[in-house]
Amino acid sequence: MQMSAMEVGQGRRAVPPLLAVSGLAKAYGGARALSRASLEIGPGEVHGLVGANGAGKSTFIKCLAGLTRPDSGTIEIDGQPVGPLTPQAAGDLGMSFIHQELAFVPGMTVLQNIMLGLPKKTRWGMVDWAAIARDVAPVAARTGITAPLSANVKGLSIAENWLINICRAQMRRARLIVMDEPTASLSAKEAGALFQAIRDLSSAGVAVLYVSHRLDEILDLCARVTVFRDGQSVAELSGATLTRRNLIDQIVGGRRAEAAAKVDHTRPQVVLSVRNLARPPRVHGVSFDLRAGEVLGIGGLVGAGRTELARLIFGADMALAGEMRLNGTSYAPRSPAAAVKAGVGLVPEERRAEALVLPKSVAFNLQIANLAKVVHGRALPFVSTRRREAMALRIIRDLAVKVPTSGTPVERLSGGNQQKVVIGRWLLRAPGVLILDEPTRGVDIGARAEIHRLIRDLAASGTAIIVISSEPDELPDLADRVLVMAEGRVVRELTGSGITRQAIVAASYAGQADHSEARNGDPT
Amino acid sequence: MTDATVRPRLLSPRTKVWLGTFARWGTILGLAAMILAFAWLSPRAFPTVLNFTNVLNQASLTMIIAGGLTVAVLVGELDLSIGFAASLHGVLVTGLIVASGLPIPLAVVLILAAGALVGLVNGLIVTKMKVNSVIATLGVGTVLTGLSFAYSSGVPIVSGVPEAFLQISLGRWLFGIPNNIVLMVLVLGGLWLLVERTALGQEIQAVGGNPAAARLAGIDIDRIKIIGFVISGVCAALVGILLASRLGSGTTSAADSYLLTAFASVFLGSATLRDGEFHILGTLVGALIIAFGFNGLNIFGAPTWSQYVFQGSILIIAVGLSSLGRHLAES
Repeated sequence: MQMSAMEVGQGRRAVPPLLAVSGLAKAYGGARALSRASLEIGPGEVHGLVGANGAGKSTFIKCLAGLTRPDSGTIEIDGQPVGPLTPQAAGDLGMSFIHQELAFVPGMTVLQNIMLGLPKKTRWGMVDWAAIARDVAPVAARTGITAPLSANVKGLSIAENWLINICRAQMRRARLIVMDEPTASLSAKEAGALFQAIRDLSSAGVAVLYVSHRLDEILDLCARVTVFRDGQSVAELSGATLTRRNLIDQIVGGRRAEAAAKVDHTRPQVVLSVRNLARPPRVHGVSFDLRAGEVLGIGGLVGAGRTELARLIFGADMALAGEMRLNGTSYAPRSPAAAVKAGVGLVPEERRAEALVLPKSVAFNLQIANLAKVVHGRALPFVSTRRREAMALRIIRDLAVKVPTSGTPVERLSGGNQQKVVIGRWLLRAPGVLILDEPTRGVDIGARAEIHRLIRDLAASGTAIIVISSEPDELPDLADRVLVMAEGRVVRELTGSGITRQAIVAASYAGQADHSEARNGDPT
Repeated sequence: MTDATVRPRLLSPRTKVWLGTFARWGTILGLAAMILAFAWLSPRAFPTVLNFTNVLNQASLTMIIAGGLTVAVLVGELDLSIGFAASLHGVLVTGLIVASGLPIPLAVVLILAAGALVGLVNGLIVTKMKVNSVIATLGVGTVLTGLSFAYSSGVPIVSGVPEAFLQISLGRWLFGIPNNIVLMVLVLGGLWLLVERTALGQEIQAVGGNPAAARLAGIDIDRIKIIGFVISGVCAALVGILLASRLGSGTTSAADSYLLTAFASVFLGSATLRDGEFHILGTLVGALIIAFGFNGLNIFGAPTWSQYVFQGSILIIAVGLSSLGRHLAES
């Protein structure tokens, strides 16, 4: 491991830290996203922030960026407490935020994008691009932007887009740049250019808060790392204590459980068989068998390729390699419509964007995958309001959906009740295979337990179920068997008592390490 | 940092309910107020059975073409070709009867099929070539205008139009009710049934409401969008035929202005009874507002330009007020 040339310790004693956060807490409804989160960054320091999914990293960053207001806690900059932050105030205080969804205007030049939203020099009332270019050029060169400033950003790589964002932050005189999973979609070579830019920022006195799941990058770049677990900052590692092993132990909490490889050979027949399914760069050669009545969990970090795998099975995207068999016959859905016809259902990750027609009623949202059931007949394709009402009432009763009438628009329902409507839609179809992507995200605890019971009941009735989840305790509660994915591959299979939260998180990171070694060996 | 202040409510819940109601009923109240005002100002000319029948008769063509357009906007697309298509179909139908000597029923059926074909082309360009529907239908509409000029050399086809053809639009075959009105009721009734009561209609609403969700629910959204364009195309063809019959001629550009009136009706309709959703009944109300407005202005001898000013401003005011009311009610 390489130590950066920064005098972190001295810097802290000589001047107050650039940013000091302590005791930050935030709850959404009853769910505590953050409690007692603290973090300290010195000037010019590259500071790592790690934690499993749901550890509170995103909420923490949102609080810093002024996008959400913490319930309690203090934020100090240069030793001065700051009041309630707004995005504007955060920017004025010298903090810049770069997210995975980079803010870009595709038709504009590199220079225009760098200056987006910044005050510009003018000459006789007109923007003086020549003068601006003279100011920006040295900063851009230092940042490592090789494309000419007049080039259109359209053809540039994601890595170059990151550099443009970093350059913009510098033009804004940022003293701290927060980077959220910067290498998630970069190749190893592209990542190299980004790391160089980060080191240069550091030596120029700009601090970086580097949020990533990739521990090798964290170890490479950061002198100090804060670990979040369950909304709390549980450790700050630096110097000799900053090792991969210590990081994983702190992320997981407690000792790592070794997975018991216990395979049950008395399972019923295989419903869905997946062999070497691939759609690079997100999914690489995934194979598994799914049995009737089984709840198969898929765990892993955000970005591990789980949702993309689900979309391949559901025909929302086409697999580029590999094959699937459904009930013994070849299965290659070309569209979700084909998958539904073959008896596969999907409860998508983003229920508001991908599953519901929000202004429409509960009954409408239930029927859209079940129109054949609510019409008078094939010859008379008119919707029978009586049948539709009976169908809706059955789901409302069976799933205990809390709703005044079946005519209530779904946008007025709570997250848990909306999710029940989406699940109810598929219950009515009685699919052979049901995939649920993050079924209890944004759902309160009571509804979560009900949704879990529904899933288990459905499995007991013979449906084969795949549950993708990033909630730490969901898969141990729910799944008979868990596949852990990392970087688009299945890296671990856990069964029986081996399914623990610790085992899933450890496998997520371990699989990533195995894979990144392989990647480093790759000449590309 | 610790004061988690709740933002003060700007409006009381009662005001919000009132605003929500206003957003839904505003256009209908406006229509009623306008009719009452005209009746009060011109008690002899305006509120008569003859005048109301006349208004409805004239509005029928707008209602039919706007009804078809409603289905296109329901699937989430815009169809700007309808006015140009109707003009071309009017020229073609008279040409087929006068120049080619086809029997009237055959010519009508052929033109309706041509309307479906135009819709199919629009739909295929939008769904398969992934062209934005504004561009696709504007392009197709422009091509259709060109074809119309090519076919007629820009000269209206007036001589030799048989009386039987005129009777399609001018006749009163059912209880003395003008045919246009009867046809309008049949078409809009059919479209209402289709959209509100059939399985296909539910799919149409789902695709327009949230295409991503519709697709992941197993609906073939391309198919639904194409159907939406075909329905819009057939309605435009029917209006082209009826207009040619009413004018007694096939004239290039005769129906072009129906595009603006149809869009105004559809969007006025979206501000009616439902919260910003397109629906057939709303479109009907929208077309009535415009028709009665024009009629009233005519009766008072207002100049032609005032009709355009009326149509443009009533659209913005009605949709704007409804949208604002809804926004405040939900704030």
